[in-house]
Amino acid sequence: MTQQPIIRFDNVSKRYNDDTTVLSNISFEMERGKFYTLLGPSGCGKTTILRLIAGFIEPSSGEIQFNGKKINEVPPNERQVNTVFQDYALFPHLNVFENVAFGLRIKKIKQAEVKRRVEEALRFVNLQGYENREISEMSGGQRQRVAIARAIVNDPEIILLDEPLSALDLKLRTEMQYELRELQQRLGKTFIFVTHDQEEALAMSDEIFVMNAGEIVQSGTPIDIYDEPINRFVADFIGESNIVDGVMIRDHLVRFAGKEFECVDAGLDTNEKIEVVIRPEDLEITSPERGKLIVTVDTQLFRGVHYELSTYDRDGNEWLVHSTRKAQVGDEIGLDFDPEAIHVMRLNESEEDFDRRLESYEVPDHAE
Amino acid sequence: MGKQSNAQKLFLALVFIILYAPIFFLIFYSFNSNGTMSSFESFTWEHYAAVFDDTRLIMIVLNTVIVALLSALISTAIGVLGALAIVYLKNRKLRNTLLSLNNVLIVSPDVIIGASFLILFTAVGVRLGFASVLISHIAFSVPIVVLMVLPKLLEMSDSLIDAARDLGASGRDVLTRVIIPYIKPGIFAGFFLALTYSLDDFAVTFFVTGNGFSTLSVEIYSMARAGISLTINALSGLIFIVTIGLVLVYYALNRRNRTPVTGVKK
Amino acid sequence: MQNKSTKALYLIPYGAWILLFVVAPIALVVYYSLFDIHGDFTFSNYKAFFSSVYLELTLSSFWYAFLITLFSLLISYPTAYFLTKTKHKQLWLLLIIIPSWINLLLKTYAFIGIFGQYGPINAFFAAIGIGSTQLLFTDFSFIFVSVYIFIPFMILPIFNAIDRLNPALIDASRDLGASPWTTFRRVILPLTMNGVKSGIQVTFIPALSLFMITRLIAGNKVITLGTAIEQQFLVTQNWGMGSTIAVFLILFMFIIMLFTGQKEKGGASVGKTK
Ligand SMILES: Nc1ncnc2c1ncn2[C@@H]1O[C@H](COP(=O)(O)OP(=O)(O)OP(=O)(O)O)[C@@H](O)[C@H]1O
Ligand SMILES: [Mg+2]
Repeated sequence: MTQQPIIRFDNVSKRYNDDTTVLSNISFEMERGKFYTLLGPSGCGKTTILRLIAGFIEPSSGEIQFNGKKINEVPPNERQVNTVFQDYALFPHLNVFENVAFGLRIKKIKQAEVKRRVEEALRFVNLQGYENREISEMSGGQRQRVAIARAIVNDPEIILLDEPLSALDLKLRTEMQYELRELQQRLGKTFIFVTHDQEEALAMSDEIFVMNAGEIVQSGTPIDIYDEPINRFVADFIGESNIVDGVMIRDHLVRFAGKEFECVDAGLDTNEKIEVVIRPEDLEITSPERGKLIVTVDTQLFRGVHYELSTYDRDGNEWLVHSTRKAQVGDEIGLDFDPEAIHVMRLNESEEDFDRRLESYEVPDHAE
Repeated sequence: MGKQSNAQKLFLALVFIILYAPIFFLIFYSFNSNGTMSSFESFTWEHYAAVFDDTRLIMIVLNTVIVALLSALISTAIGVLGALAIVYLKNRKLRNTLLSLNNVLIVSPDVIIGASFLILFTAVGVRLGFASVLISHIAFSVPIVVLMVLPKLLEMSDSLIDAARDLGASGRDVLTRVIIPYIKPGIFAGFFLALTYSLDDFAVTFFVTGNGFSTLSVEIYSMARAGISLTINALSGLIFIVTIGLVLVYYALNRRNRTPVTGVKK
Repeated sequence: MQNKSTKALYLIPYGAWILLFVVAPIALVVYYSLFDIHGDFTFSNYKAFFSSVYLELTLSSFWYAFLITLFSLLISYPTAYFLTKTKHKQLWLLLIIIPSWINLLLKTYAFIGIFGQYGPINAFFAAIGIGSTQLLFTDFSFIFVSVYIFIPFMILPIFNAIDRLNPALIDASRDLGASPWTTFRRVILPLTMNGVKSGIQVTFIPALSLFMITRLIAGNKVITLGTAIEQQFLVTQNWGMGSTIAVFLILFMFIIMLFTGQKEKGGASVGKTK
């Protein structure tokens, strides 16, 4: 299925004032009809990528393609892309109907059709009956939906959403996550969503681009990224994790925390220095005799679904454990885990090499 | 803060009485058949009739209104463009320089404005009269309009313009459909202020007006120097009523635009 | 993004306005101050300005402007303060401002009647047995009318400053044990200083340059810098000397603005007096 990508970045860089590089040599492709998320810490360049796609700024070098055609210099009003802004950017001098109708009015579409399409868009976001409200009379969640309606009513190929949920409270936010995801599936449009909340990214996306300091560090499905983080940054950013230094003894055998463990990773150099990630929920509490690691419980917090234990092994490494079982602070306990729970990360590995390596030992697994 | 004491109320009442006393004093004697501002004899409309009979005076009133309306319109146009230009200026230094220059005419005493414009018109060769008065009024109203429009433009978020572009608006659409409607309250406030400053101006006009042309302020000045004439009183009564009318219109417009009456941002 | 060339277009009329009506007039005033009445280049105007006649004039002009500003402030601050405590404060404020929209000449003219030989004040004096006094054409009437004219322009910025004050600050001060008077002195007054400064700005500079009131009310007894300029330009036709006085008035204006300048640029000083 080699479909034409809808968006393609080819070695795109963005510099301001010729010295501050905000994006450096970014390349990626996005397929039609998928839900993409750009995830990364504040200032890493997420908004910059959206603004490049929307056309508010031009790349300093490289090429941006839309459906295979270069669009570097196409102005925003001639692109089939619409944005839902972080602060919604609703026009305060227009009511809900006229805000949604703005794009159609620009295109000089007939009143009857404007009315039909605006009402349809408002129905889509569950705001029928709010046509004559002023923007100041709408709640935060409602404003956000007006902003979405204003974007989808123009029937764009791509909808860009810049942290649209960040201003909402937790409950409304979770609700809107469901609604957005469902909306995207109903419309079948390409959504590019920006957030710095990893849970939101994991819950909503078909594919996540993890960014750091103007570069895309790793891209893949939520499960790939969660299970096989490429490096310490991604592992740390996506969920909580235990990261320790280690050495690869040979294929399928790794040494860390003073012991050797069986693992699934292969294809690395012998005695190569590596880092090991184990997710807190992959660690299971057992008796000290049966545990692969022996640790002492330092603190314990009740987190609702599980207990979060902070424990230390004899070398002083901290091990976070998420467990439904309770332990006693000060007790010595054993930690057990499967070979699959160990994720080995090479230092400074590029994304291509990483993918190739994973494929080399994961393909047999998947070929059921 | 505590409740108002009676002393405070008394103080305020006194201030209000003093502020309004001269105005009502004028209007009161405008109905005096005696012809002086000292002993009230009996009620008469004759001074009002005199105002309407005096075609010269009516011409002057018309002149004043025409100059005010024209200068307010033109200065609003220049001022709005100026505010846009200032906002679009990327260079901070240039921007601050423009703003400082903008404020020079606002703080300059009228005598200075009048005298320097007189020199300017003479040097350039503009004949003193309608044109010189109109140009002067436009000139001293422009910075006021800029000051009223600028805060509105600055408070407007950039993403509104991005949003409009994103939805297909061309540069022109952005201006007419987003920016202008957004800053409309500022434009209105600027227009009304320009109008009142023009109507109220005496000193600048006094310097730059020629022999054949006069505005109300200048005319009242020469009448007052000649002594008391109850025609002026009748005129005051009329002006007071028109002013109150204008205030009400302005108030109504402002209500709709939800900005404070005083034209000064909170 | 809007076209660069359209943006440049906005700058043309406004830039032309600045050059023609801000820069050129000041330059011309400075230029003219260097010529005597016969059109010969000279510094004699400046020499003349430092003669005793003009120095005295400047001093007395400053003295009157100071008195006018002081009395305006003494009346305006309490008025503004009490106004913020009224129920419909915006409406009351509007009522304060309305008189300032009545033509200045008319109000001044009214005082000719009020202070006149047979005016109500003299009638009142006669009634209580003081006997009629010469009120018009005195320092008193000049200062009184000027203060009357400037009060609304002084009240406005002070009102805005007090109104903007966070009421929680006053509560906090009271909570910390300050008396109402201490609260006023230590909290309210310093925080509303910016309003007072703009008020002084819109009163002192115009008061230096009044000429209409001096002619109508003070009957040429009080001469201010403004009257002197008008005299030189329109009566004596000595534009060189008039320009020289204007140059100094502009200088004084900048100095006063430096003193009353504010860090935070607000729209508060949009009060222009004639
Ligand atoms: N106009 C500009 N001029 C100079 N630098 C800029 C400009 N716009 C953005 N930057 C810089 O580019 C970098 C990336 O900005 P961007 O807005 O893309 O970050 P972001 O990932 O969206 O962050 P956030 O999560 O905080 O919104 C930042 O360091 C920012 O300071
Ligand atoms: Mg951002």
